[in-house]
Amino acid sequence: MTSLLPDELVHELMAVGQVDVLVGIPTLNNAATIGQVVKAVHHAFGRYCSRERTVLINCDGGSEDGTRAIVRDLSMDEADTLTLRHSLRTMHRISTPYHGVPGKGSALRQIFAAADLLQAGAVAVLDPDVTSVTPEWIEALVRPVRAKQFDFIAPIYARHPLEGPLVSQLVRPLARAAYGWQIAEPQAAEFGCSGRFAAHCLDQPVWDTPLAQVGLDIWLTGEAVSRGFRCAQAPLGPRTVAPGPLRPGLAETFTQVVGSLFACLEQQAPFWLGRQGSEALPAIGPPLTLPVDAPAIDGERLLQSFGTNLVDLQAILDTILGPDTHAALSATAQQPPPRLHFSDELWVATVYQFLAAHHEGVMRRDHVTQALLPLYLGRAGSFVMQHAGSDPAQIDAALDALSAAFERAKPSLVQRWTGTT
Amino acid sequence: MAQMIADAVSQAGANFVDAIRTFLPRIVTTISIILAGWVIAAVLRTLVRRALGWVRFNAMVERAGIGPLLRAADLPPADILAGTVVFWLVWIGFLLSGVDVLGFTVLQGLVASFVLFIPRLIVALGVMVVGLLAGNFLWRATLLAAVNANVSSPRVIAGAVRALILILAGAMALDQIAVARTIVLTAFAISFGAVMLGLAIAFGIGGGGVARRVLERQFPEKRVDHPPDEMSHL
Repeated sequence: MTSLLPDELVHELMAVGQVDVLVGIPTLNNAATIGQVVKAVHHAFGRYCSRERTVLINCDGGSEDGTRAIVRDLSMDEADTLTLRHSLRTMHRISTPYHGVPGKGSALRQIFAAADLLQAGAVAVLDPDVTSVTPEWIEALVRPVRAKQFDFIAPIYARHPLEGPLVSQLVRPLARAAYGWQIAEPQAAEFGCSGRFAAHCLDQPVWDTPLAQVGLDIWLTGEAVSRGFRCAQAPLGPRTVAPGPLRPGLAETFTQVVGSLFACLEQQAPFWLGRQGSEALPAIGPPLTLPVDAPAIDGERLLQSFGTNLVDLQAILDTILGPDTHAALSATAQQPPPRLHFSDELWVATVYQFLAAHHEGVMRRDHVTQALLPLYLGRAGSFVMQHAGSDPAQIDAALDALSAAFERAKPSLVQRWTGTT
Repeated sequence: MAQMIADAVSQAGANFVDAIRTFLPRIVTTISIILAGWVIAAVLRTLVRRALGWVRFNAMVERAGIGPLLRAADLPPADILAGTVVFWLVWIGFLLSGVDVLGFTVLQGLVASFVLFIPRLIVALGVMVVGLLAGNFLWRATLLAAVNANVSSPRVIAGAVRALILILAGAMALDQIAVARTIVLTAFAISFGAVMLGLAIAFGIGGGGVARRVLERQFPEKRVDHPPDEMSHL
């Protein structure tokens, strides 16, 4: 795997030697937030890994705002030094450019290759845009791997159940029904893993595909749970992302996330088609008890164009949906927004028929995922309006019922999927 | 006198018999060629339909979005249509060969012209198929992009894109087979120019504000973040 690493980096890594904990941070123009993340990592090394050999590796995609310089030259202030002086070992810090296709995939591949070369016991990967990262996050992601021999640690964030509707309405329940594991955040930029899992991922033929650049987060989770690795979850806390000018809009985000999830399910189908029901993934660490405010989501605004979008997309939806589902959607869209109820069963049938259409390739695959976006907005808007006055426990119960509906309907998906394979 | 008439009639009868003797084999040959051509064309039609059935041609056509267009034009399914095209091309070839055997001066050279015409016809059909594929693909891409961007009248925009591409492909195909080339080119140039001019005038009169907003959004004085009310779906 050294061929994936530039010579200069190999020399730096050889100087570091074997490590117990490696923290990787892929970056691209993150000067505004990277300092905070690097400090959190160093505090974690000082507080929780004082007897372990540690290294922080930053793989940069060509930042022009001095991100790499900040990582290399960041000095700790007096308070930091007090914390860090307990460390018994040198804290190594490397910042390197990565080569290949620009994107997170190339950066992670280099981080995994470095972990393989250094025979790292545990690897944690962090998102440089997250401003709420604390030393405890790194400890939570790394400790289960070091102490309990887990192979993959997915995060649990403290968030209101109405927050992130794309995750709660689609990604989480679909991943749960398909893979058979209850994962709070199947698509998370932060995770921990063992060196064994990193080496396994390096051997997979995913790195030169589009999935590696935009959908690696979901792929890693799917790979871990479907290939029999020991997986767990770690409660981290609230996740706050710094606003940035490069943040993609909803249409692009939706196509990337849903397209990646569908592509992962396609690729990992042999491992999940036969699985029934779902099991809870163990959570390692104290549960999150912080109350989280409800997000400001205007359900009526999400529903605004639902009816007209359905009419506009009729010809495309005819190709993807069965006549019953299409008719039920049209009937749902006839209701005025305050009373519009997009049922769980109808949403599950819609998503499964889109997934099957994506699998069968009834049209260009990104067109399938793009056509799902207006329906998702209808479902999200309906759910938000229905639960605007509910307390978090009630909403959690409703989301659990949605996941159960996805599980109940899975046999119909499997039947259609295997009938066309 | 009577003898002369009798000789003339006899000569005419002999000539007629000679002509029949000479022409009858040609007619029989022509009929044989036409019948054999029909059988060969029918066999080829069946083979083409079966081959296309094996490769799931209809599903591919549906996937490319051409199926609904064929149905809208009251045309048969794609495999049957392809088989029919092959049948007629082959049979017309045999038909002209058979007619050529008759030796009519006015019909001579038809086969040669037809043989020369076939490649151009195939190219024209290819242009139309590519046009249909491209038109349908861009129609779907435009419709989805417009719907997801909340642009008003997305079906009109997407339909206009498809119509323009089909008109362009149709004009190219007709030009290829040299059917009323001058009229086709002139009509195309006039109608295409009229559409573009109409759009430009309409946009200029009715969409000045929109154009300004688009340009301001595209080239802001200072790059701004997304509006604060835009919620995160992740």
